[in-house]
Order: sequence, then structure tokens, then C-alpha cells
Amino acid sequence: MPGKEELSLELLAAGRMPERYQRNKGTIGIDGQIRLLKAKVAIVGAGGLGGTVIELLARVGVGCLRVIDGDAFAVHNLNRQLLSTEQNQGKNKAYAAAARVALINQDVRVEPVPYMLQADNAEKLLQDVDVIVDALDNVSARLLLNQAARRYGIPLVYAAIAGFTGQVMTIMPGDQGLERIYKKPTASDKGVEVMLGNPAGTPALAASLQVQEVVKILTGIGEPLRNKLLYFDTEINVFEILTLAE
Amino acid sequence: MVIEVRLYATLRRYKPSIPHGVLTLDLPEAVSVAELVEQLEIDPVEVHMVMVNGTSSDFGRMLADGDRVGFFPAVGGG
Repeated sequence: MPGKEELSLELLAAGRMPERYQRNKGTIGIDGQIRLLKAKVAIVGAGGLGGTVIELLARVGVGCLRVIDGDAFAVHNLNRQLLSTEQNQGKNKAYAAAARVALINQDVRVEPVPYMLQADNAEKLLQDVDVIVDALDNVSARLLLNQAARRYGIPLVYAAIAGFTGQVMTIMPGDQGLERIYKKPTASDKGVEVMLGNPAGTPALAASLQVQEVVKILTGIGEPLRNKLLYFDTEINVFEILTLAE
Repeated sequence: MVIEVRLYATLRRYKPSIPHGVLTLDLPEAVSVAELVEQLEIDPVEVHMVMVNGTSSDFGRMLADGDRVGFFPAVGGG
């Protein structure tokens, strides 16, 4: 008996949009939906950014999500991290992602990886995916991820947040990368989020923009933010597209 | 030489009286980005990205009349 994902793909192959994706039809289309369902995306970090990315990728219908996070939920995550609840405190974030997606979309398979990305496991965890989402929270891990994405030739969708501020960019293989954004090591391996914190709306906004990038890359629709950093500061209503020089 | 400077996020606290961190400076002579940071009394360690006219640049860039310069701190949260 075919699985749910296969049933959706059978319908799509016959030119019919499954009901659950009807509101995707006008924008993503039948061909786009097939591409999403057949895709595998790695989400590195299942916190503020990652939780919303996972939720939205599951709803839009990306067929396989590999969620990499060795961290467990703590009370101070509750203000913003979609996957955190009062019930799953102390539980691993990658497993929480799998539980959440199982409630949303049976077309989507989650591969939870309950440990952190490291130099010595990057190849195994990343080399077979179509897109990588950077939902990390420290500079050195981001740089490591960017190097791995470049090495394996995989598009990387980056975002980072602090306070009312966020920045989002797509890095295709061979493009300028995060070395253009983080030019010096920071003492704490963090940015100004140490001072500003992360209120709820900021990760959700940045993560939503990351999801748009993933959908564009997988379907070929539109123009990814390639070599362009979308920077927002909602405290003073600034949205800018900045160009990374060669 | 007139240039416009925009300070982003935490860098705005260096000029708390300036609305939105946007300053227009009339400078008597050409300066580099590094010299501008020094004149503004900003700790250069806090400046990670420099944008000149919307394109990434660096501290060695010599500024020209009419340039728009943006200074950004490191943003790394997730």
C-alpha cells in the first residue's frame, strides 16, 4: 500500500493538486509541488529560526526534513521557539520537530539528528540534501556549515537575528559567503543578540523569509537572495537589500 | 565633502540623539572608512559589515562626496 507521500505524488502526476496543497496551487503549481515533495532539506538548528522553518516547510510540503540539533528545550526558549512547549522541557529539539511534523503533514518524513553538526559528521549529515538551512546561533558553527555547504556544492539559506534585527541570504555553491558578513572572530562567538535578546516576532520573520528562499530554490520560481543580504530592523521600519561585493 | 552615515542596531547607541542613526556629515577632506569610524568615536571592533552605497566594502575604502555609508554590528542569533 503506498504511503501518504506516494498518494500525493500519484495525484500530482495525474495533474491534480491534493486538497491539502490547494492553496499552494496558484503560486507553486503542480510541478513545483512535485519538486517540493521529492526534496530533502537539512535544517541545522531547531530553535527560534529552525522551529518556524520546520513548521512552514512541513506545511508547504517538502518531503523530507533532516533536523539537526543536539540541544534540549529550556524555559527561556518559550518566548519564541515554536517547537518548545511547557510539556517538552528538557527534551531534544530534533525529536520535538519530528513529533510536531507528525501532527501536521504525513507526506513529510523527518529525520531527527539529536546531536550537533561538527566537522567530522558534516559530510554524512549534509552531502545528500538538496538545500541546507542555517538556523544556528553562533558564528563559528555558521562558518563551519558554510564551508561544508560549499564543499558539497549545496545551496545554503542563511539567517541570523538579534533584537528587532535580522538578516537573510541565499549562498549558492561558489558564491560569496558568510566570511563577508563575519569578518572578525567575536569574543563570545555570538553577535549583539547577547545584548538585545530575541523577541518572538524576529525569528519568525527571518525564518519565513528563509522558507521563501528554500521554496524558490527547490521549485525554480522567482529570484533567490543570491549575493544579496536582506537586512531588516523593524524597530525603525528598515528593510534593505545589500549587495555583497565580489 | 558630504557623506551620509547610517548606524544599525546597537551602533545607534553611539549617537543616541540622532533619529534612526542617520547622520549627514560635511567633512573638510577625504577620509577612509576607518578614519570615519574613528571620527565618530565608534569602537571598530563592533563594526562587522561596512556598506558603501549599498554594497559591501571595508575599512580601507576612501570615501567620496555623496557616499552613503552603513555600519553594522555582528548579528548571530537563531
